[in-house]
Amino acid sequence: MSEQDHVTKEVRRETGSGTDLWSVIISPTIWALHFLACYVAAAIYCEKLGRDAPLGDIRTLVIVVTVLALGGIFWSSIRLWRVHDRSLTDDDFEYEHNTPEERHRFLSHVALMLCVLSAVAVIYVTIPMLYLETCR
Amino acid sequence: MGKGRWWLGILRCGALLATVPLLSACVSEQSMLHPAGEDAAAVANLFWVMAAGTVVIWLIVMGITVYAVLGKERPKTERFADRFILIGGVAFPSITLAALLIFGLALLPDWVRTEGADLRVHVTAEQYWWRIAYELPDGSVVQSANELHLPVGQTAEFVLNSTDVIHSFWIPNLGGKIDVIPGRTNLWRLKPTEPGVFRGVCAEFCGPSHALMAFPVVVHEPADFAAFLEGEATPVDAPPNHDLFIASGCGACHAVRGTSAGGAVGPDLTHFASRRTMAAGTLPITAENLASWLLDPKHIKPDVRMPGYDSLPDAERAALVSYLLDLQ
Repeated sequence: MSEQDHVTKEVRRETGSGTDLWSVIISPTIWALHFLACYVAAAIYCEKLGRDAPLGDIRTLVIVVTVLALGGIFWSSIRLWRVHDRSLTDDDFEYEHNTPEERHRFLSHVALMLCVLSAVAVIYVTIPMLYLETCR
Repeated sequence: MGKGRWWLGILRCGALLATVPLLSACVSEQSMLHPAGEDAAAVANLFWVMAAGTVVIWLIVMGITVYAVLGKERPKTERFADRFILIGGVAFPSITLAALLIFGLALLPDWVRTEGADLRVHVTAEQYWWRIAYELPDGSVVQSANELHLPVGQTAEFVLNSTDVIHSFWIPNLGGKIDVIPGRTNLWRLKPTEPGVFRGVCAEFCGPSHALMAFPVVVHEPADFAAFLEGEATPVDAPPNHDLFIASGCGACHAVRGTSAGGAVGPDLTHFASRRTMAAGTLPITAENLASWLLDPKHIKPDVRMPGYDSLPDAERAALVSYLLDLQ
């Protein structure tokens, strides 16, 4: 396959239909919001109700927020997977060429890895809440 | 190490490893690996599981490293490399860390207190000693210092305060440690499961004599503990030389219950001579150590607040030593 063929083949996707920077930051943003929601809610709750208050309500809230966050990250991953369309790591991924298609793939590749990182982080933030009984 | 002598290296490593169990046998009175309490047993269990897991992971990583360096060159597909990184570098660490997190979190104390403790002990950390007061069922307290006695099989609740800087209360054989913070009351519970004599320490650097701020911990059978507490609560009759003790100013800082000495600045000395150590776990109680201490406490324990009594005639210091040794 000549260089020309390769580029021609890769230019099919339009610039507006692939990945943009918003897609890259959406999952870390969900992670940050989830983190803030969990910690700020627990902090306010425990400040109002005292050290011995049971964490039942907050635990429910954290689980709900976690489900929403993981859902959001999953949705973002599906979108990116469609753009990337190959594998999670670089496998047969090419980015030596200055084409819109490869820029999309590169960005979606990065974004997809950030999705995995964010999902793991969201789960790690949630795990302690399943074990804590009171505000202590 | 020449070629063909690689086994010598392995032998040396093996010999070194073989000495490790010997090290752990050195001192067991201050060791998390010799648990004698419920919490300590849980922490020791956590340690052994994590240590074993670490060894397995280390062997796997080293095995892969050796294979990568010495193994035959066999090209792998890019797909294999991707999968290897994905599983070994992403999935495995994430799952292992999550498992460790869950395993560790399961040790979090259950702070929902439904049952009362069997015994409450007020512990006040001061530079560089421990004020200890046992709470009796009627609410009154028995003052003591620098030696903690506990009944086996019963939950003791410690009410922890500090008067000066941040200290940390730690009896490794019985459980984890907790900071003792000025202006804040921390609660801590320990449940000894085996009788014995252990060593508690201050585990937060608190000044020049931080390392000399320890206390023996004696875990008794419940009946023996009751006898100890009764004895500790009993005031003493003033031994000979009590007038000298008062005249020298000792009573301004130290209390000897049952006598006119009622100071509360330094450790309570009522049953001083029945303790195992002096100067908060620093020295055994002997006439020689006491004489040396009275002459110049800072020489033994830097920055200690007690002044030296080198201005007293030798005979009076000796009399004070015998007075202290009479405080059974």
